[in-house]
Amino acid sequence: MSKESRMRATINQKLTEMGERERLKELLRAKLTECGWKDQMKAHCKEVIKEKGFEHVTVEDLVVEITPKGRALVPDSVKKELLHRIRAFLAQHAT
Amino acid sequence: MKMEDMPLSGPDNTKLEALVHDIYSELVEDACLGLCFEVHRAVKQGYFFLDETDQESMKEFEIVDQPGVDIFGQVYNQWKNKECECPNCKRLIAASRFAPHLEKCLGMGRNSSRIANRRLASNNNMSKSESDQEDNDDLNDNDWSYGAEKKARKRKSDKNQNSPRRSKSIKHKNGELGSSVSSEPYKYNYNTGISYETLGPDEVRSLLTTQCGVISEHTKKMCTRPSLPDADTVVESDSFDIPDGQTLMSRLQWEDSPDISPADSASSKASTNHSDSRRPKKKKRPSLGLNSGGGGSLTGGGGSSSSSSQSNISLSTKKKRPKLSAPSISSIYDDLN
Repeated sequence: MSKESRMRATINQKLTEMGERERLKELLRAKLTECGWKDQMKAHCKEVIKEKGFEHVTVEDLVVEITPKGRALVPDSVKKELLHRIRAFLAQHAT
Repeated sequence: MKMEDMPLSGPDNTKLEALVHDIYSELVEDACLGLCFEVHRAVKQGYFFLDETDQESMKEFEIVDQPGVDIFGQVYNQWKNKECECPNCKRLIAASRFAPHLEKCLGMGRNSSRIANRRLASNNNMSKSESDQEDNDDLNDNDWSYGAEKKARKRKSDKNQNSPRRSKSIKHKNGELGSSVSSEPYKYNYNTGISYETLGPDEVRSLLTTQCGVISEHTKKMCTRPSLPDADTVVESDSFDIPDGQTLMSRLQWEDSPDISPADSASSKASTNHSDSRRPKKKKRPSLGLNSGGGGSLTGGGGSSSSSSQSNISLSTKKKRPKLSAPSISSIYDDLN
């Protein structure tokens, strides 16, 4: 377990240090906007806000409502591509 | 600690896969959080709902997604096949051609007046030449070329008659010479455009006593400059050799040109006939007029001996003033006849 956790920690560290994490983030954001995921989520937000009353809505409200739906709505193509890139990085740098 | 690359061994692989998925989930959550913060800020700042208006307007301007229609719900080729009735000629015209048709039909456009004028002009020409052509065709098929020539010549003469140049020259001549003299030269011009042989000797003498009479080789027209009465220069002109005189003449004439005043030179450049017509009025330098007349005849028809005689006379005119001798000229032309 500790090996695994150490391994994880190392990889995460590498991801961040080498800037791969940032790159992956940007890639994901771009892809999600491209495929319309962002607009979908915004529409859902509107509903939530209208529901809760927009004067008093908090970030937490939104997060709770949005995140599960967001995770589910990510298109498969985007998901596959991201996974592929992460695996490639690990293959390169997990020594 | 040893890290493994991507072996296909069971447990490690799953662990790696799990790791990959974990990293992926982290990234997705990050994206969602970012969106939430963005939306929340927009709501609190009040710009989240700006693209929304009342329900009525929303429905009115909804995006249309039907076939054959654009997103505003308009049909784009609606007027393609429609026909309109022209109020002028009562014909059915296609919509896209309606405006240009109206322009021509009502005669109000920029091009319609141009086309109408052109048509009128060609109609006049056609009506004249068509009658000629018909006559020729009736007579003989071989005359077809002649008919065309006649047509062409007639057209050309028409053109010349209407051109501003001709009217200008007419005005010019009339103004300078006076009516009596001007009417005569034009009559003679057309007749003697061919040759002196058509006129009788008496006619030629009378003609040449009043006018210069040199035929230009270019225009086949007779010089209608009125001859001057002084006949004293006959003695001097005989002293010059004719062949030498010609070359001397040309040389002297070229030398003379700087002496010519600007007004004179301009007129001499314009037309020898018309510049000569001015000479009798001016008493200052009639020699120049003679020179230009001589020069004109030299350049125009250097071949005829009349030009040499003229040049002789003009050479002598430098010393004396009015030089042209009518009897000498008529004697030369009598020789020709």
